[in-house]
Amino acid sequence: MSHDDFHGRLEDDRMVTGSGTYSLDWDFPQAAHAWFLRADRAHAQIVSIDASAALAHPGVIAVLTGEDLQAAGFKSLPVLTIPTRPDAMKPLLPFRPCLATGKVRMAGEAVVCVIAETQQIAMDATELVSVEYKELPPVVDALDALKPGAPQVHADVPGNLYWDYDDGDQAGTDALFAKAATIVKHDLYNHRVIGNPMEPRCCISEYDAAKEQYFLYSPTQGPRIQAAMVAKVLGVPTDKVDVVAKDTGGGFGIRSAVYPEYCVTLLASKKLGRPVCWNGSRSESFLTDNQARDFICHGELALDDKGKFLSMRFYMVANNGAYLAPTGLLSQTRSVTSCITGVYDVPVAHARIKLVATNTAQVAAYRGAGRPIMSTMLECLVERAAIDLDMDPVEIRRNNLIRKDQFPYAMTNGTTYDCGDFEAVLDDALAAADWKGFEQRRAESAKRGKLRGRALSTYIESTAAGGIPDEAQLRFEADGTLSLFASSHSHGQGHETSFAQVVSRVLGLPMKTIKLRTGEAGMRVGGGGTGGSRSMVSFGSSFFLGAQEVVKKGKELAAKELEAAPADITFDHGEFSIAGTDRRISLQNLIQKHQGTHPHPLDSSSANKYGMTYPNGAHIAEVEIDPETGVTDIISYIAVDDIGNVITHALVEGQMQGGLTQGAGQIFGEHAIYDRESGQLLTGSFMDYPMPRAVLVEGLQIIDHPVPTALNPLGAKGVGEAGCTGALPTLSNAILDALRPVGVKHFDMPATPQRVWQAIQEAKAGRPSAMLSYTLEYA
Amino acid sequence: MAVKVSMTVNGKSVSHEVEERTLLVSYIRETLRMTGTHVGCDTAQCGACTIHMNGRAVKSCNILAMQAEGASITTIEGVANADGTLHPMQAAFKEHHGLQCGFCTPGMVMSAIDLVKNFPDTTEQQIREQLDGNLCRCTGYHNIVKAIKAAAADPASAKAGV
Amino acid sequence: MYAFKYAKAKSVADAATSIAADPDAKLLAGGQSLIAAMKLRLSQPSALVDLGNIADLRYTRIEGDTLVVGAMSTHAFVAACADVRKAIPALAALAGDIGDRQVRNMGTIGGSIATNDPAADYPAGCVGLGATIITTKRKIAADDFFGSMYETALEPGEIITAVSFPIPKRAAYIKFKNQASRFALVGVFVAETPAGVRVAVTGAGPGVFRVAEMEKALSAKFAPESVANIKVPADNLNADLHAQADYRAHLVTVMAKRAVAKASE
Repeated sequence: MSHDDFHGRLEDDRMVTGSGTYSLDWDFPQAAHAWFLRADRAHAQIVSIDASAALAHPGVIAVLTGEDLQAAGFKSLPVLTIPTRPDAMKPLLPFRPCLATGKVRMAGEAVVCVIAETQQIAMDATELVSVEYKELPPVVDALDALKPGAPQVHADVPGNLYWDYDDGDQAGTDALFAKAATIVKHDLYNHRVIGNPMEPRCCISEYDAAKEQYFLYSPTQGPRIQAAMVAKVLGVPTDKVDVVAKDTGGGFGIRSAVYPEYCVTLLASKKLGRPVCWNGSRSESFLTDNQARDFICHGELALDDKGKFLSMRFYMVANNGAYLAPTGLLSQTRSVTSCITGVYDVPVAHARIKLVATNTAQVAAYRGAGRPIMSTMLECLVERAAIDLDMDPVEIRRNNLIRKDQFPYAMTNGTTYDCGDFEAVLDDALAAADWKGFEQRRAESAKRGKLRGRALSTYIESTAAGGIPDEAQLRFEADGTLSLFASSHSHGQGHETSFAQVVSRVLGLPMKTIKLRTGEAGMRVGGGGTGGSRSMVSFGSSFFLGAQEVVKKGKELAAKELEAAPADITFDHGEFSIAGTDRRISLQNLIQKHQGTHPHPLDSSSANKYGMTYPNGAHIAEVEIDPETGVTDIISYIAVDDIGNVITHALVEGQMQGGLTQGAGQIFGEHAIYDRESGQLLTGSFMDYPMPRAVLVEGLQIIDHPVPTALNPLGAKGVGEAGCTGALPTLSNAILDALRPVGVKHFDMPATPQRVWQAIQEAKAGRPSAMLSYTLEYA
Repeated sequence: MAVKVSMTVNGKSVSHEVEERTLLVSYIRETLRMTGTHVGCDTAQCGACTIHMNGRAVKSCNILAMQAEGASITTIEGVANADGTLHPMQAAFKEHHGLQCGFCTPGMVMSAIDLVKNFPDTTEQQIREQLDGNLCRCTGYHNIVKAIKAAAADPASAKAGV
Repeated sequence: MYAFKYAKAKSVADAATSIAADPDAKLLAGGQSLIAAMKLRLSQPSALVDLGNIADLRYTRIEGDTLVVGAMSTHAFVAACADVRKAIPALAALAGDIGDRQVRNMGTIGGSIATNDPAADYPAGCVGLGATIITTKRKIAADDFFGSMYETALEPGEIITAVSFPIPKRAAYIKFKNQASRFALVGVFVAETPAGVRVAVTGAGPGVFRVAEMEKALSAKFAPESVANIKVPADNLNADLHAQADYRAHLVTVMAKRAVAKASE
């Protein structure tokens, strides 16, 4: 589909008219309402809980505590993927309860669930529950938590160290560093953010006693994978849980997980024999959604005397929070290190990451999931090398890029890039940005009293992580439509349109007769959810192959109809014909001939694993700072991206725009701040947490430079997160570039007006690195 | 305790007994079961709950149902024509891919209609500034701005009457 | 939200009677701050007396050399009103940039100044213009009306009916917005009024305050450079996540300078 013939998505009519169905839009008039009493402190022992007054409150139906869940046999909330390590050292996985038992480990942790006739009554009654706590000192900072004598978050996580992870070739790296002419070191802090999909976390839970089946209506990115996690907690087979969803109001990784409230309300529904609704508030999403980033990063780059990169090594400390979320291991480890040396020809490198427990909300996957950590570290390190060694920032990059003729390109950490044309992508970006004209623009800004900065960053990320085969099912219905089933649920991507597009192109059937159904009760398909930018690459490819299976079956049916051998049948534009004759039958006709038979003879499915894909790009940003106020404006942003073949251009552009803006949101102000003394989240609402608004990012230009991959039949690479992965380093470097002329040497994000102004004042006072939050030594 | 509240919603008179503390958005969503109006925050900032009260965009999560007593309310469900034809603003959001997850969209559309009504010759800069009361997490706003600009330029907008 | 009783006042007198009968009752104007606080259970009035139906509190009119604004005039109404735009364009611009469009369609001038949020815009406009707050009981000079955060000179049962603004020779308001809440991190209202130059600051301190040194300098010469080097002490200013006191102090000077430039346009 070219850009010009886009006229909207199949899902748009319902969404623009208010006819969408988000989780709380399902109609359950009989539902009781749950509300949660949450820990008002970050770290304490629970001495006692007295809910008698709440139970006695008119309209209250039941109260559940952690003991009730234990009695019901609840298991720990699970961790999904545990990356493998060569030395077999395993992470520590402490028990994560749905309602706190014995101890609360973070402010906002659910302690008691009150169920009442209305939400207001449940809220009123929650205030009547009294919990006696014995206060414990909290620790919220990862380096503080690693210190001897720090408060211990979990008894079974000694020293608050969940995992001492490492990846790459340490001995090989050290050998190369020993040969280096120069070693450049850089520190930065990739601060914590909160994803804030616009639909707050919520659910309606229903237990069907006759079928012994649990139904969870919740925002989801993958109904079957979420069902599997819920089932683990409840201790029932996955088949006994259905996650039901039609529209999901954003996810960004955060809605892929199971959460305590889902499991507690399912149990409540079972106990009460009626549906239970939890109308979660934004405040609760702030406190208890999986949060993101919070990485203290140290990187080192070894160069020879000609400026050629020899090796890189990294030491990072990741604040994982009070518990491990389902994606909380992968996103903090292998997702960070998979593209360990970026687009550069550096096969040998090493990274060590400590995953640390603190009294803060759990940290896990959020748009980019680990990759923005490495892209930011790498590109700030390379920029630092250019500055320290007085090299041109373009040439230092260009001279070290992996060349087109080096693919497949294997690194010692096990990653192999299949394809790319990094230099061509770089050149496209330089041309679009009028790279050479910058000094003139900088001078023009200076005349207006403004500091102009500019930076180029490259990025590459691993997407569509394999794991389990992603299944696509195609079913021809009695009403003549074609149903598509998959566990990849859209939370904004527009799967209904893009998967239908893939199938329609193969089969020649009109888009409007193809209906994607991803979150229905009873659906049983294999595969993951929407996450890791995998949907088009993986599920899209399965739909493509599934549609080809339909063609293959169609040829056999057509052969019978046309009295010919299947091998003689060709298929084109929705018609089967015998080559060289006018004997033909349309697919539509074949569908109709068997309409109503179940299964329909053309029903098909495909389940496959596809290789990781490596989208990459070169981004160039120009920013302008008002030194008087510290306000920074983005003047222009050029993104040139290789995301392989593009299926629907408008949707891809939308993903890039959204990803870039989320990156800009983090750079310019989003920041989850915990009070170091009390452990309270200080930025717990939109009053204190600055979300990107419409004025934040202007002058955005997105350019495709596709290099199709051969690793999947569509030739596509993941696009969902690329914008965010590219934006963080690009904007970070552009801001520092603007600040360098006034003496600033280090600047950790976010670039809020206050921090930018402060950086300038500190530099004037002879403290050029005052805005650096942490330093680490590689060890 | 309960009080009686009456208003006109999308041209239809409605009247119910409600608790005094019932928010207008709860009345619309839970009592009237019109779920197109969304709630995205609890501090009256995201604008997902934007509706029109007596012809002006307001946040229905920050108004008591009783404050709308006697008012004329238009929600996202009342914006398209009776025959299902989209309002020019709805059509522009669709045409320009101005929505992804769609959760902010009803409030965004209601706000945008009000914006164009008040600033018929609006500029891109003004649209960006005047969208201060609406948050979107998916689109980065780029295509929303494009959609509103297109709808403002569409002669059908002036005639749409909402 | 906690439960409460609700009454719609038919007139100011009716409202005064209702509010006098219950010390824990609160007046409801546009409700944009009050309802938000009640939703978070930060405010627990026993009853709300809704002024929304009192149409004769929604007006603006020129009375000689003053502009009078009825207490229930919404921000959008004030911003759009031809009288206001002509007489005191700075006040129209202030009203037109409060909160966001949806808030401006509900929030009222009376509600705003009765709340006296330390980061609200109207207190700066009232003090900056030397306004008089007219209540059911008396007339109060803006200088005497606003206390520290959320405190005003209003007595129990006293209701604001209007605000009277002397029409200045020139005036401007410049606001530096809090990135998250969009309230004023620092807002400075500068006016050359018949009674002299006034500089009022909101957002920076625990309540709106005037900067005498700037007023004096501007009285001598109404130009940006007159205030460019006048610094307010940071000692009593707010310090929070969004801005340290020294940054706020610095912004007061910058915003004042920009406001003078704008007023001089």
